[in-house]
Amino acid sequence: MGSSLLSVAEQLLKDLQRTYSETNQIPDDLLIALRFVFGQCALQALDLVDQRSVTCVSSPSGRKAFQVLGGSGHLYMCFTSCHYCPCPAFSFSVLRRNESLMCKHLLAACLSQAMGLCQQEQVSDQQMTHILSGQTEAST
Amino acid sequence: MADILGVVFRRFASGNVTSDVMFPSHVEGNTLLLLGDVNISRSVLFLAAVTAATDLGLKVLFFTQTPFQSLPVSLRASIPGLKLESLKNVKFVYVKSLEDLREDIASLHELASEAASPSSLIIVDSLDHYLHGSRVGPLQDDLSPVAHVAALLHDTAAFLTQILQSRADGQGLCRVMVSFQSEREGSRDSEALAPELLLSVLDRYLQVRCTLEEVKRDGEVGQNEWQVYLSVVCPSQVQQWHMVLQTGGALEFSPVIGGEQQILDQPDESKQENERCGDG
Repeated sequence: MGSSLLSVAEQLLKDLQRTYSETNQIPDDLLIALRFVFGQCALQALDLVDQRSVTCVSSPSGRKAFQVLGGSGHLYMCFTSCHYCPCPAFSFSVLRRNESLMCKHLLAACLSQAMGLCQQEQVSDQQMTHILSGQTEAST
Repeated sequence: MADILGVVFRRFASGNVTSDVMFPSHVEGNTLLLLGDVNISRSVLFLAAVTAATDLGLKVLFFTQTPFQSLPVSLRASIPGLKLESLKNVKFVYVKSLEDLREDIASLHELASEAASPSSLIIVDSLDHYLHGSRVGPLQDDLSPVAHVAALLHDTAAFLTQILQSRADGQGLCRVMVSFQSEREGSRDSEALAPELLLSVLDRYLQVRCTLEEVKRDGEVGQNEWQVYLSVVCPSQVQQWHMVLQTGGALEFSPVIGGEQQILDQPDESKQENERCGDG
């Protein structure tokens, strides 16, 4: 997975952010590009965005993280500065096989952030520590 | 982190050194993976911590499983006139398990906003020991634990950098230095993750790699000499230094003239190189 593809993906997300802020929708050409760059997980990620599954969690210290509610009801923590997700798909397809840039949860977090569709939640600093260390995972 | 290593190399150079540690401008260089034998890596980490605290006045957090019974390098030989009070900026944190390490790093934000000066250098000694100790259960081939702790370090450094920059007119950087011994005696059992796979994961989050390769003469090690290779993954670039452990215990560095290389993509290496150029 070359660094050039990562650069393309980053530019695509910037284009999407600009377009969505102007028109409130994603044009077909950007949808096709998302599918091309991110593969199957693009549509799954867009479903998660539609369901408003991404929450930006912040604490009084200023620290932030994303929490993504997956289809199975698991809550996945993603960092804001680098790509990581505790889900099995990230571990296998991204880390082990290097076949994908992201899993659907990570992509959903990136898309939600670009489109301004993250829910917001305030937690205490101690709760944020639990979230970042992976001790907090809720099932609904 | 590359800037601190540059200070270490010049500070403890044998002779006058004008070479510096330089990387492409798009490489942040504040996260570094140190590969090598556990003992010499520990000494280099300790030297980096002391240099950062004394020469640069930085606050340092040093995470390790094993308390220091004695100084790993002869500081008195390396730094004549060293005042021990200048080491007060180095805080040693002894944590036994990967879970405790993650929790301690995850909690650094809690005091950062109140602290007079947040940590500017976070060191983790022998990350492989923490990972080895955590492998339990059926998912022993899961790469998630190593990715989690590396990503947590990266994200924590990014957050503390924001804090430092907000207080210092846009200046200030939080660096991370992690040591890792990829080949451990007796560790290549059937259940162990391949070292290359672990390193490929760490490369996603730690941009600069410093490899300490022991010099063999006539096929024998124990010469107390190492070649030091500083490299970034994308684009591939390597800088080379030489390190010697003197009889008195002091470490000395010297640049290898002509040791800078831009590694061009070779047809049979391009796939491997592209695989290493992951996200971070």
